Amino acid sequence: MGALRRAWIGLTGQFAWRLRPAHMLRSFSRTEQGSALDMFAAVESTDRRDIRKKYFRHALDEWRHAGIFRERAREVAGPDAVESGREEAGMLVEHGIVGGRTLFERLGERDFLAFVFVAEADAVEQFGVYARHGLLDAGTEAALERILKDELFHVSYSKHELDRLSEAEGAAAARGAVRRIRWSRFKEGYLRLSRDIGHGMSSLWLLALYGLVLPPFRLFARLEAPGWQAPPTEARSAADALMSEA
Amino acid sequence: MPQVTLGVSALYHDAAAALMIDGQVIAAAQEERFSRLKHDPSLPVRAAQWCLDEAGLSAQDIDQLIFYEKPLRKFERILSTSIATFPRSALSFPRQMKAWLGDKLWTRNRLVEAFGVRPERVGFSDHHRSHAASAFYSGPFERAAVLVADGVGEWATTSLWRGGPAGLEPLGEVRWPHSLGLLYSAMTAFLGFAVNEGEYKVMGMAAWGTPRYREALDRVGRLLPDGGFALDLDHFSHHWHPTRAYTDRLVALLGPPRPPGAPFALLDPSASAAARAESQRHADLAASVQSWLEDALLHVIRHAHQRSGEANLCLAGGVALNAVANHRLALEGPFAQLFVQPAAGDAGGALGAAQWASFGVAGRPWSPSRFRPDLGPSLDEGRVADLVADLGFPCEALPHEDALLDRAAQDLLSGQVLGWVQGRAELGPRALGHRSILADPRGPDTALRVNTRVKLREPFRPFAPSIAEEQAALVQLPPAAAALGPYMTVACPASDRLREAAPAVVHVNGSTRPQLVSAADDPRYHGLLRRMGEATGLSALLNTSFNLKGEPLVGSATDALATLARCELDAVYIGPLRVGRPPARVLGG
Amino acid sequence: MSSEPPKPSRLESILMRLGTAGALLAMLGRGSRPWMLPLVLVLLVIGAGMVFLQSVQYVAPFIYMVF
Ligand SMILES: [Fe+2]
Ligand SMILES: [Fe+2]
Ligand SMILES: [Fe+2]
Repeated sequence: MGALRRAWIGLTGQFAWRLRPAHMLRSFSRTEQGSALDMFAAVESTDRRDIRKKYFRHALDEWRHAGIFRERAREVAGPDAVESGREEAGMLVEHGIVGGRTLFERLGERDFLAFVFVAEADAVEQFGVYARHGLLDAGTEAALERILKDELFHVSYSKHELDRLSEAEGAAAARGAVRRIRWSRFKEGYLRLSRDIGHGMSSLWLLALYGLVLPPFRLFARLEAPGWQAPPTEARSAADALMSEA
Repeated sequence: MPQVTLGVSALYHDAAAALMIDGQVIAAAQEERFSRLKHDPSLPVRAAQWCLDEAGLSAQDIDQLIFYEKPLRKFERILSTSIATFPRSALSFPRQMKAWLGDKLWTRNRLVEAFGVRPERVGFSDHHRSHAASAFYSGPFERAAVLVADGVGEWATTSLWRGGPAGLEPLGEVRWPHSLGLLYSAMTAFLGFAVNEGEYKVMGMAAWGTPRYREALDRVGRLLPDGGFALDLDHFSHHWHPTRAYTDRLVALLGPPRPPGAPFALLDPSASAAARAESQRHADLAASVQSWLEDALLHVIRHAHQRSGEANLCLAGGVALNAVANHRLALEGPFAQLFVQPAAGDAGGALGAAQWASFGVAGRPWSPSRFRPDLGPSLDEGRVADLVADLGFPCEALPHEDALLDRAAQDLLSGQVLGWVQGRAELGPRALGHRSILADPRGPDTALRVNTRVKLREPFRPFAPSIAEEQAALVQLPPAAAALGPYMTVACPASDRLREAAPAVVHVNGSTRPQLVSAADDPRYHGLLRRMGEATGLSALLNTSFNLKGEPLVGSATDALATLARCELDAVYIGPLRVGRPPARVLGG
Repeated sequence: MSSEPPKPSRLESILMRLGTAGALLAMLGRGSRPWMLPLVLVLLVIGAGMVFLQSVQYVAPFIYMVF
């Protein structure tokens, strides 16, 4: 599977780095910013007080990486490239919170460490492929080199802590956690794909509906007039109205 | 049995949860403070859980969970607008319908699943009613007119209510797509700022310009004789475009939009004449839309005064956070007294939804009171101390109030910039001395120092002061805005004394946006201000929100320490602890 | 949340959704836009499909292959 993954990264990287390098860099920046927050959340949640400092440092690393990627994206895009207002404001859009629970809360300490190990190792591998294929310009390559040093540390400390945490149950426990995480990351990748297909398909369906079914309704629809209007009449009691979605 | 009501706002702008027990607001918090995504709109699961924990309750104890708006009415608006703007809505229709059919339409299901509440306990207020309730039931008036103005709720974009012993009576509304808030947001986007985030920046930039585009804006936003207004919909596309809020006709009218992140050359002596002219044009555009909004609001509240026959006015909705406009309303408007609580945006909708259910529907007795925005989480001192020790930050405990305040004042007087995390977090976007960054406002370089070392804000934006109540004469608050003093919801002229002594907290046009702090409301913060006064004659501090660019106000102790580690703050005071800068080995890199 | 809240049963979920759909149709019937009813019915059917596919997201791509 590893070779397959590397080939895929190399192939998609060929296009992505050539066509939209600034976009690639921005998306790395977002990912790094997201993992910084996942790590800060772990600092807050962990019961293992000896490990907190490592999580904290790790979070600061990722936050710095996000800045390096963002800067590089700006350089690559040139002075006239338009960022979105949100991006300019530095607003984060993604991290590991699902249903109100942080990555750490969902996984627990051991699987969280396994997740960090697997994700960091994947990132190192991904950057390695880009470097080997010569896909990066000199400036980006230099930026990545600074980052890679930290990433290697993230791989090694998370592995070390994972092993330490699993000591009592033996090496198999740590391996099990890593396997579980790899499998769930694979599943998540598949579900992401499934969702993307779903989004694409439903967009097509809805667009067809829009073109074919909506036109006759256009005859009835009016935008509201400007100016003050009477409030909507309400026949229900306040209590009944409160219980209704409409 | 006590009656437990949880108000929830979500799925649009700022998600929040507010918990009331028997008509008392126990706790309220925004989801962004937990999730760390600024303006996080997702269901406020963590905020709600914290509210329940705070009260020692669980989900089973919730008698009523009130969502802040009616999703089906909103769906009706979105669908019928898509049809009415066919075929221009071709791009937005699939997006909107995907979000609605797959998700938002089923808000009741989502609430039940996320919060673990029985379906029959879930209710729905109206968007503007929630805003109106959050203003009126948090306010100091026995009875008042209530004006809500925001982007849009279900249909209403501006609405008028009469609040009194009989509850909240709707008097009228202006409907989508005609919206004061959306015109201002369209211009926010036009000026290259993020909508729902950059409106403050437009307001700040406006002071640098002259409103020479007013006539053009008067053509696209007309004031009507009935006291309402109309947008010229050829110039706007918020009602049919998925992302862009204005059309090429607006560009033809006003010139090219400002690209996001464009430098502000008016403060840069080395900038070329052309760059300065361009920045001046942007500032003039900002000044024009600000002036348009102020006049439109005055027009609208004159109608509100006549229609309601009330003497006092509560304002809510995102537009009510325009502190500069609020000053004009207080100065030139017909109302004797204004009130704007600081969570006037959608986060306050959670509070209003719960208040409406308690006072408006269940008929619990209500009386006016002084609104306290510090309804959020406080930090556990023991846990903070552990964390500080684990992370290796230098830390000093100052258990005696005087020692703590003396030390903090001494730091500030020596030019340090401090984080100040005390008591419960504020609801709403303003830091009011609970999650603040503080600095001595005197000296010509304070603003620059805070900006370059900590906040990385746009250089054209001003900082605001906290001022001890007894030195209220440092600012010229209009009498009608007296009730806004504690909340930073009104800007007003600074006195000559403040302007000379503390230029960092006075804007280029001589205005300032003060928080007046009383000893009764906030003894510790007031004590600090008093110490500054004893040392310098000026009981004032520069007070800006404790967060880095693009992030929400700090929530947890980790957030506070992470912020300390990532910028050049000198120290953070968390409760009685003074946490200093971490040594290099903590920071790595 | 630190502990998962009790989830409503599948039947309960479906009943809630039906209630929402009914409230939507009733609102349109009462209001000033009853002409939207037929369109909304079609959309509700699509919505039901989307909700169903969300509940079987592992096989959803295969279903899309058929449609
Ligand atoms: Fe990284
Ligand atoms: Fe990393
Ligand atoms: Fe609103």
